[in-house]
Amino acid sequence: MSNVSTKPRPLDGLKVCDATWYGAGPIATRALANLGADVIRIETEKRPDGLRIAQPKPEGEESLNQSGYYNNFNAEKRSITIDLTTERGHELGIELVKWADVFATNMTARAIRQIGFTWENVQTANPGIIGLYEPMQGMTGPHSEFQGFGALLSAICGVNYLAGDDNEPPIGVGTNYTDYVINPIHAAVAVMAAVRHKRRTGEGQLIDMSQLESSVSGMAGALFAWDNGQTPYQRTGNRVPYAAPHGAFLANEVGDRADHWVALACMTDDHWVSLTEVMGSTELALDPRFRTLEDRKSNEDNLDNIVSGWIRDMNAPDAMNKLQSAGIPAGMVQKASEVLRDPHLAAREFYAYPDHSEAGKRAYDGAGFRLSETPHEIRGAAPLIGEHTWEICESVLGLQPEEIGSLMAEQILY
Amino acid sequence: MASALGDIKILDLTDPLGHYAGYLLANLGAEVTKVEPPGGDPSRRWEPLLPDTPEIEAGMQFLLMNVGKKGITLDIRAHEGKDTFLKLLEETDVLLQSWSREEASALGFDSTELRKQFPNLINASVTGWGLYGPYASLAYSDIVSLAMAGVMNLSGFAEGPPTQLPDNQGFHCASLNLAAGVVAAILERDSSGIAQDVEVSMHESLLMAEETAMQTADIRGIDRERTGGTSGVIGIKLPGMGLYSAEDGWVYAMAAGIAGAGFAGLLELMDLLGDSIADELRQEPYASVMAEFSNSAAVFRLLGDPEKLKEIEDVFAEADVLVTRFFQKYPKEQLYVEGQKLRLLIGPVNGPKELSESEQLNYRNWFRTVSDPGRGRELRYPGAPWQLEATPAILSRPAPLLGEHNEEMFTSVGLTESDLKALSENGVI
Repeated sequence: MSNVSTKPRPLDGLKVCDATWYGAGPIATRALANLGADVIRIETEKRPDGLRIAQPKPEGEESLNQSGYYNNFNAEKRSITIDLTTERGHELGIELVKWADVFATNMTARAIRQIGFTWENVQTANPGIIGLYEPMQGMTGPHSEFQGFGALLSAICGVNYLAGDDNEPPIGVGTNYTDYVINPIHAAVAVMAAVRHKRRTGEGQLIDMSQLESSVSGMAGALFAWDNGQTPYQRTGNRVPYAAPHGAFLANEVGDRADHWVALACMTDDHWVSLTEVMGSTELALDPRFRTLEDRKSNEDNLDNIVSGWIRDMNAPDAMNKLQSAGIPAGMVQKASEVLRDPHLAAREFYAYPDHSEAGKRAYDGAGFRLSETPHEIRGAAPLIGEHTWEICESVLGLQPEEIGSLMAEQILY
Repeated sequence: MASALGDIKILDLTDPLGHYAGYLLANLGAEVTKVEPPGGDPSRRWEPLLPDTPEIEAGMQFLLMNVGKKGITLDIRAHEGKDTFLKLLEETDVLLQSWSREEASALGFDSTELRKQFPNLINASVTGWGLYGPYASLAYSDIVSLAMAGVMNLSGFAEGPPTQLPDNQGFHCASLNLAAGVVAAILERDSSGIAQDVEVSMHESLLMAEETAMQTADIRGIDRERTGGTSGVIGIKLPGMGLYSAEDGWVYAMAAGIAGAGFAGLLELMDLLGDSIADELRQEPYASVMAEFSNSAAVFRLLGDPEKLKEIEDVFAEADVLVTRFFQKYPKEQLYVEGQKLRLLIGPVNGPKELSESEQLNYRNWFRTVSDPGRGRELRYPGAPWQLEATPAILSRPAPLLGEHNEEMFTSVGLTESDLKALSENGVI
């Protein structure tokens, strides 16, 4: 982020009224913002985005502007604070809907009704608008009012059932997984497709994106097999049908680092032959138990024991280098601090460090895809809560300073 | 019905990590043609296999990721194959591929060269590590990206191995970003005429899925570790929060002071089901402690107060024993539906069977039946990830048989029947 570029971007001029919160909504609209859209987040201090409250923040800090969780997902947006539950506040919210090309929310149906942003209201106010609604299970059906977060949806959509070993409880993958890529990027693709349709025909539309449907779509292998007459799915830990050996293996202890794992995948018979060469064992190369993928899958416990024993005596970086030198897919199980310092990501300038007036220069995840000419990139930090209330009231809503002042005094604006 | 990408022609030469992108773009109406080497894409042979079907047409992973696409075979390494490929590119808006820079150069298709010959082409690359940087030429796989991206370190039990995410999530995240990049590039080309390259690294596409681990390392200098699913982003185990055994399976609950009806709602659910455990939890010491931590701000303050946490962690643990006992007595569907009606965040741990029979998914007619005459059956496919009201998702054809559209595609760019015969005899198609 040494030099912020001023190149044009694909969504320059696109106006987004953003009533999202938490992860699955804000990350979608962040992608739009980092592609050039003017994204205005409507927030309230009465009921702020839970991620503004959440950790991590600097030790002892409680400011709504210091959460790394929130800030990472809201780079380059503007923030206006309006109490939408007041009549005048609701009117101002609807004015933003009229201004926008896209209205986006991932709130529950109930919360949407409370703030008066149902699709009916939004479309009435602005018939040409694109409405992205991302409730957990879609806008129709017996479960349309149900609510949850990514960790809960992960249980419902199959993450927990599919991940881990068969003899362990289905704990999931340790995060609100579906919130971070699957749901927001499906949503971003859908919005951009709708933008194209709108640009070509003038027609807006409703995007009813059930996070359940989006998530299942992104991990449907076992469901598709089940639906078409295959035997029940078996949870297989770190194994896959298309490679063996395949998994994470504990490496030697280095310094204070006792827990260092190496992931590897022998996807082809050639990978396996190369692995036996790296291990220096012609015996293994000739071992009939391991010759083909089918052989190796049938003897996978033995195979994994042999590989484990070999990696156990090496340092993780050495193991990765040796395996990769032989052309075998391999990598270290990195901790977040190691990912932040990853030399490859550094050379690619993945992380952005935009300047935030309260939080300073903190790391933000970079763009998930790159465009060569009209870049997808982070050009600014997340907004303070209500940071742009005044300027949006003046320049977007066309209010006079006196009115803005009195609305603030009445706490309709903050 | 209108479609968003009905005028867009796409050639899909990606490795399996990019297949889902072409699937999404086909759902948006693009004409997507999978270009495979004459022996077929490797994922055609991946288990599970459709029964009573020739192996090359039976791989269910291939079917799922390539339904809706046309398919041709072409050896683009061979001289004649390359010529044919260039002819196809003239009619193409978007090229999806997984070549490293070295591979692209060796083929004569490096990005500069392609840009020169096809100024309107959107050339979209998806690889494990991206096209440049010190690891760019390293080998990759789904699990290697999960490992290097830090997400695997968060998944699993504290004492156990880091655990991969299910069903090739690296592939899916890479493909999602590829599809997003392609649609963004199409929007740019529409408005300014600028065609450009899209680049996706599977490794990078997963980094957002570290949740707060990256920021926790950056802001607090602390690495989040795997916790066996007990605490995650909250950092402590709250009663009512996490995985619980139900009478007939598992439920995941967030019935603590984070959102929804919270712990008070959980007691209401117990009342509703006539369970006296609620009465126990309304006694001290539980009542006052649970009341104090009934909102997220209080919970997060607790995280910064280790002394207070130590004081009450026994109360939390004892309350959780009671909550655990409650969940064990009831079927997961009842806990889910009755709980959600009370605005309690409870969900069942669903497997393929439950999803297949899901009242909600079936009410919304989500699943799609695709007639697949080449494989002699109808197949039930998942629905689209979104419902676009004015431009509905399209699933117009089964997954291609190997080389199914060779004749149609090659004759459309001017090859004659004898050309096709020669290419076939030389093993090019």
